[in-house]
Amino acid sequence: MDKHRQGATASYVVLALCAVAWVVLPAAVHRFAQEAFAEFQAPALHLAGKARDLARFWELKSRDKEELLAASRDLARANAALELQLRRYDDVRKENVRLREMLRYAPPPEYLTVVARIAVRDSSTWWQRVVIRKGSDDGVRAGCPVIFSDRVIGKVAVAHHTTSEVDLITSPNFRCTGFLEGDDQNRIVLVTGAPGRGLAAGRARVSAIPQDYFYPAVGGAPKVMTTGLGGVYPAGLVLGHLEGSQRATQDGNFRESSLAPTRDLFSLQEVTVLVPKYPTPGEILLEDQAQKRLDELR
Amino acid sequence: MVWSWFIVLLATLPCLWVADLLTDALAGTNLILFVSGAAIVAPCRRLKRWQAVLFAACVGFLFEARRPIPAGTLPFLLAGLSIFLTSNRILLRNTPLVLRGALICNTLACTAWFTAAGLRAGAVTAGDLGEFTLQLLLQVGLAAAVALLVFVPLALIQDAAMDRTGLPPALESP
Repeated sequence: MDKHRQGATASYVVLALCAVAWVVLPAAVHRFAQEAFAEFQAPALHLAGKARDLARFWELKSRDKEELLAASRDLARANAALELQLRRYDDVRKENVRLREMLRYAPPPEYLTVVARIAVRDSSTWWQRVVIRKGSDDGVRAGCPVIFSDRVIGKVAVAHHTTSEVDLITSPNFRCTGFLEGDDQNRIVLVTGAPGRGLAAGRARVSAIPQDYFYPAVGGAPKVMTTGLGGVYPAGLVLGHLEGSQRATQDGNFRESSLAPTRDLFSLQEVTVLVPKYPTPGEILLEDQAQKRLDELR
Repeated sequence: MVWSWFIVLLATLPCLWVADLLTDALAGTNLILFVSGAAIVAPCRRLKRWQAVLFAACVGFLFEARRPIPAGTLPFLLAGLSIFLTSNRILLRNTPLVLRGALICNTLACTAWFTAAGLRAGAVTAGDLGEFTLQLLLQVGLAAAVALLVFVPLALIQDAAMDRTGLPPALESP
């Protein structure tokens, strides 16, 4: 019995030593362990996502033929209209490039689009995430913006080999600057995710709203759009719309309000990841820092 | 058998993934279906101590891998709990006691990761303590209910895997 007790005490001591070693170990070791276990689970996530797609496929297959014919006719009409619009935009783009060259104005960041299906959703008080079935093997990088149509969904928090974790705009880790619809002076507001409350769907928070900002009475709640500053999100994407009453901040200089996403973020099936063609300023800065650290180590 | 713990882990994985899928269905309610704490109890009755520790740590890492929880919080807590349980097997001598153990382990582990994640998010402030407590109670309440509901089928699967690996059955009076 004593031997048994001694064994237990020794185990506690070893565990405590391991915990201390774990804390002291560099972050790279933590990241490696996390990455290894995430990769171990990746096939199961793919399977779950594909099973959902299969269920959707059979659901669509059971639809009436006439319904499908009507949908295809509507799509053909929409395609024709969009083709016309595309040609017009091509002319505008060329003119834009020419004018920028004349003014020697820095071109806006260009993005590659990676369309990704959602594998699984995960929401808690402290995080609101979805896992997508595209990862670093497909070019996705941490920090890339994730959108659906012209709406911001969030940004890539971690990119694994074949999956990526996306922090939604309602996640407390999310930060972004925005413009308010109807504000002619284009003053910048700050959009941050907020911890979940009760069982209610997540909301974000809009702070630094100028005191003299009043949104137009017609046309519903005003939209909040990305500024394009910081180089992460392209300008003009919709973050959501202001919701509820605006409260004055503690110092009384600004007001703040809730931001409701433009659609239910947990009902999405597919999203688009915007991968910058060239490294963003943040990535360059991090690379420089990493290089300096490497040089120091050498 | 040296690899028993790994075989039990492989047998437990589908249950953990089913919990993840149910969490997916609950998305939007801010709740996680947490079973990792309950999952370590049945193996602690039969696995050797070092095997139980490895098993518990892996279960903890699997939960943490895709979530912004401070690295190591759950694995070390579950490993500590597994040392306690394997050293006090008398506390797990019959089904009601094992069920009680699962309930306690799941709620303890849930409290630990929830608090650690809140501290990491920087969202736990003195002014928000009431809100924090309410959210914690909601999450822990769900974890307790899930432990009670899921433990028996989970333990049956794990016991079947341990029988296959030729581990001796748990003693009624260890």
